[in-house]
Amino acid sequence: MSPLKKRRSVLRSDGLQTLISSLLCIILGLAVGYLVLLLINAAGAWDATMAIVKNFFKFTKAETRMKNFGLTLAKTAPLLMCSLSVLFAYKVGLFNIGAAGQYTAGVCAALIFALHPNFLWPWWACLLVAVAAGAILGAICGALRAYCNVNVVISGIMLNWITLYLTNWVLAWVKNPASPYTKELRSVNTSALIPSMGLEKFFNNKNVTISVVLVLLIAVVIWIILKKTKFGYELKATGNNLHAAKYCGMKENRNIILTMVIAGALAAAGAGLFYLAGIEEWSTTQSAVPGMGFNGIAVAFLGGLNPLGAILSSYFIQHITTAGGYVNLQVYSAQISDFISSMIIYLCAFVGFFKMFINLRLDKGEERKARKAALLASTEEGGADE
Amino acid sequence: MILLLQYTIIFAAVLLLVALGGAFAEHSGVINIGLEGIMVIGALGGALAMSKINIEYGGFVIVVSTIVASAAAGLIFSLFLAVAAINFKADQTITGTAMNMLATAGSTVAVKAMNTAASGGSDVSSAIRYINQKQFFIHRFGDFEFSWFMLVAVIALVVAYIVMYKTRFGLRLRACGEHPQAADSVGINVYKMRYAGVLISGVLGGLGGITFITTGVSEWKFENGVVGFGFLALAVMIFGAWDPLRIAGAAVIFGLFRALGNVHTGIPLLEHLGIPGAVYNMLPYIVSLLVLAFTSKRSRAPKAEGIPYDKGLR
Amino acid sequence: MSANYAIEMLNITKRFPGIIANDNITLRLKHGEIHALLGENGAGKSTLMSVLFGLYKPEEGKILMDGKEVRIDDPNDANRLGIGMVHQHFKLVECFSVLDNIILGVEPNKMGFLQKEQAREKVVALSEKYGLHVDPDAMIEDITVGMQQRTEILKMLYRENNILIFDEPTAVLTPQEIDELMHIMRNLTQEGKSILFITHKLNEIMAVADTCSVLRKGKYIGTVDVAGTTKEELSRMMVGRDVDFIVHKDEAKPTDVVLSVEKLSVSSKGHSKKAVNNVSFKVRAGEIVCIAGIDGNGQTELVYGLTGLLPVKDGAVIMDGKDITQLAIRKRNVGGLSHIPEDRHKYGLVMDYSLEDNLILQRYFEPRFVNNFGFMRRKNIRNYANDLIEQYDVRSGQGAVTPARSMSGGNQQKAIIAREIDKDPQLLIAVQPTRGLDVGAIEYIHSQIVAQRDKNKAVLLVSLELDEVMALSDRILVMYEGEIVGELDPKTTTVEELGLYMAGAKREAREV
Repeated sequence: MSPLKKRRSVLRSDGLQTLISSLLCIILGLAVGYLVLLLINAAGAWDATMAIVKNFFKFTKAETRMKNFGLTLAKTAPLLMCSLSVLFAYKVGLFNIGAAGQYTAGVCAALIFALHPNFLWPWWACLLVAVAAGAILGAICGALRAYCNVNVVISGIMLNWITLYLTNWVLAWVKNPASPYTKELRSVNTSALIPSMGLEKFFNNKNVTISVVLVLLIAVVIWIILKKTKFGYELKATGNNLHAAKYCGMKENRNIILTMVIAGALAAAGAGLFYLAGIEEWSTTQSAVPGMGFNGIAVAFLGGLNPLGAILSSYFIQHITTAGGYVNLQVYSAQISDFISSMIIYLCAFVGFFKMFINLRLDKGEERKARKAALLASTEEGGADE
Repeated sequence: MILLLQYTIIFAAVLLLVALGGAFAEHSGVINIGLEGIMVIGALGGALAMSKINIEYGGFVIVVSTIVASAAAGLIFSLFLAVAAINFKADQTITGTAMNMLATAGSTVAVKAMNTAASGGSDVSSAIRYINQKQFFIHRFGDFEFSWFMLVAVIALVVAYIVMYKTRFGLRLRACGEHPQAADSVGINVYKMRYAGVLISGVLGGLGGITFITTGVSEWKFENGVVGFGFLALAVMIFGAWDPLRIAGAAVIFGLFRALGNVHTGIPLLEHLGIPGAVYNMLPYIVSLLVLAFTSKRSRAPKAEGIPYDKGLR
Repeated sequence: MSANYAIEMLNITKRFPGIIANDNITLRLKHGEIHALLGENGAGKSTLMSVLFGLYKPEEGKILMDGKEVRIDDPNDANRLGIGMVHQHFKLVECFSVLDNIILGVEPNKMGFLQKEQAREKVVALSEKYGLHVDPDAMIEDITVGMQQRTEILKMLYRENNILIFDEPTAVLTPQEIDELMHIMRNLTQEGKSILFITHKLNEIMAVADTCSVLRKGKYIGTVDVAGTTKEELSRMMVGRDVDFIVHKDEAKPTDVVLSVEKLSVSSKGHSKKAVNNVSFKVRAGEIVCIAGIDGNGQTELVYGLTGLLPVKDGAVIMDGKDITQLAIRKRNVGGLSHIPEDRHKYGLVMDYSLEDNLILQRYFEPRFVNNFGFMRRKNIRNYANDLIEQYDVRSGQGAVTPARSMSGGNQQKAIIAREIDKDPQLLIAVQPTRGLDVGAIEYIHSQIVAQRDKNKAVLLVSLELDEVMALSDRILVMYEGEIVGELDPKTTTVEELGLYMAGAKREAREV
């Protein structure tokens, strides 16, 4: 209505606010980590913190650096997938803490079809069954929410534990007789290894496969789906206001289940892309679901719930997680990295408050300006009015 | 059979304590997803008290200080939720999830650091051992091992019932979870009541944590957290419809299923069925999922739970 | 001199980010009088009362009680000073008993343990003294709105408050209940209580108030003696111009039946009890049929049944000759049904979406807004939104991209109306379309509804406001406890008669 366009402060931009908030969370998280290290042993605390921040930069040889950079990238791939799973579900208002279980289901399906002598399937087939397993788990969670009104956080946790025990039991069929670990893909079924297409040479690290590239593409696709498509429009409307979605005829239950199916598939695909690269084996005596799914939550929120932001934040979280192993283990433990990432998630809960604080300051500033302008205008017009 | 009874009761005691904690938080209007983490920290506090206090002081001192230490640890850790959810109106689910991760990672870092320092680098495990101290918590009646924590749980149940329904505090607390604007309009400080609810859940969660890690075992690896018991307790709370007495009933049922996992090898009938151990491990989680599926539709959760109260918006 | 006044609020100014809700307002309440505070929605009445009740802190101004300045920082202070308030939206805990609600905050106790017996005696004595009948052990969720209001009044009396604030107390009552309330209010003043009565209904002021202060857009307009004024003068003060409350419309010319409801029963959510019981009626093209009744008598569930938001238990809904009883919501919506929902925040809008995304909520799936690959056609959406914004004069800070959350209530409602009417529906269902809006917006919305009728559309209006019912409808159906108990002609019936039907005191045998 007013022809005067208010010049809006750049600080109003939601993206910039998210970025600032995320950086603040990271800095505060690292600072708290540093304090804890100080408490444990003041002498090495700074070095340990720097070891976490530096990760592979600590190596002097370029080759070793590249190799370890490759390792971090290879481990970032599943993390990014888990965070995509979490943020996708969050768009319809669901907190997918079950990503960890869906990830585990992916491991279970991929490895049993890759390693069991009755199957010995190629990598793409194993990946597909992994995706299906995660999708089914997601569907259970979604259906329980849609039709039985079960809180997804609680059902997700229950399914995490059920999946863990199931996976340990099933994968014991393909484990190494001498250890609790599953057999190595390289020695049993090389066709189940994801191809590297030259990336192996580039990074001088056989762990780096096309997974790294695939997950980037998937992140972009998710971004496009959420931002540009009718499906994204519906999902966000459903997440934002379930009642309005129903009112305008969206099938809200179908959307909830479908979202959880996709979320489950994403997390499980991450597991497939990681375990089928032959980087690690599954320990069948594992007493908790892998932390990958939970770290995915940290990544999703740290990335401002944006798939492109998640690319950056997943790399960061993996960077510090891998580096946890580089602290002086004579004094500290590698879990300091987990501690820092969980501190970062905790701080992410304050992002809303932080943004509100910025906006409030901006509001006040603008109001002051407006009042000044009004005062100025009224004194100028004062004579004319009389 | 006595073993099954004993395990049922002790697991029921854990679930009861923690679920009551959850109910206090939710009746005040705050969803406490972080109970799992509170249990871990409570367990840590209790285990440290148990293992550090000189055994010469005798049973009474050790029992009392362990209970106090775990309750205090839970209470302090629950402040993470209270500050974020009540003062900063943060998302309670994210906060709770972060607390769960923070508790496991933090206690692992702390215990490892202590073990490393104490052993000069040869012991880097995340375990605290309390085999000698544990005996003070237990009294044998024939084959049945009575634990003082069972009594603590029963006392907590009675007190919780009275506080919730017979006192001014309980009435005000429940009003804050149902209709905080109404409570505010009659001069009740909603923030204070919510703090009270969350802190009580911290105390009870902490007690539940120490009870849990002293059942059957005499050392605890903190890497493992409390294997989802905090979440089972939330399921118990929902199944128990946020009511102390019904929660107690639900806790016994869930406790039984959990106990089966521990003792199924000792019961000839179950041994004969030849069901793999994994199934018994999964059982409590499967049961809770089914129970939730049938009870969540008509849940009578406190109406305002999970919604931050903002004085400015009344 | 000022000792004559129970309360004086002097030069009160309260600002919120972006607006001045109260701009230098002065209000004086005499002992033992009923003082009406008149103003449109958004004029600042509730803000002023919240200041008096200690919910808001004013930036400027002071409050005197019996001539002495007092500080009111929170409801506790207000309570200590004997100020009580019946809020527009009752502040009652639904799953508590009446007694628990009354004592909440001032519980009689021994060492923290509740002593309910003495409280019960006091409540029973009070309810007899003032004729406020309500069972102290009933649960709030089980009693009628009228009884809930009595509970709120008892809450003030239990606290021995002397200054009673009633915030829009009549909105939810039948005409007979309103009369009863007025009677109670007069009783209260005879007992020496002073009453502040917030309303935007002129009839009620004329009937019960001694004095009336008027606010408009946050500013104080004036105070008048009710005995010496007229409705017209009051309305001019309230709106700032002459308003005629008559909706101009010609005789209806109903044609074919568009909506036919046959023996419809609907259960409310989570209950097996029928909220709508065996209801039958017809709506023709070119007429406005209004469902009148007190809130909570099944109107909401009836609309949900018609629009598909709740499943129908029994009976049939027929639109344009087609049975739509079991049809999906989307199919109903594209098949010629438009629905202006009761709660615009809960159903009508996605608050975090932009205005343009809200304007396409009912047609985002049409080929002009979405291409074959499922991508949104942003340019077409923008153009369409701009057209609607201009045509329906929807005002907002940043045009099509304004978040719905930051728009005013009136413009949010205009956006919904634009969206629903632009669909060119055969049947328009409008539920309380003017709730909480100012006179300008109400006039606009009324004219749009009449225009739909004149374009030979069928209109089903659900309203709790009797003035609106009388002014807009061509036929009135009264709902009571889930059934239609009467069909009335607005030209021949009176508000009193309507009230008897609404209260269930009168019913007719109907054939459809």
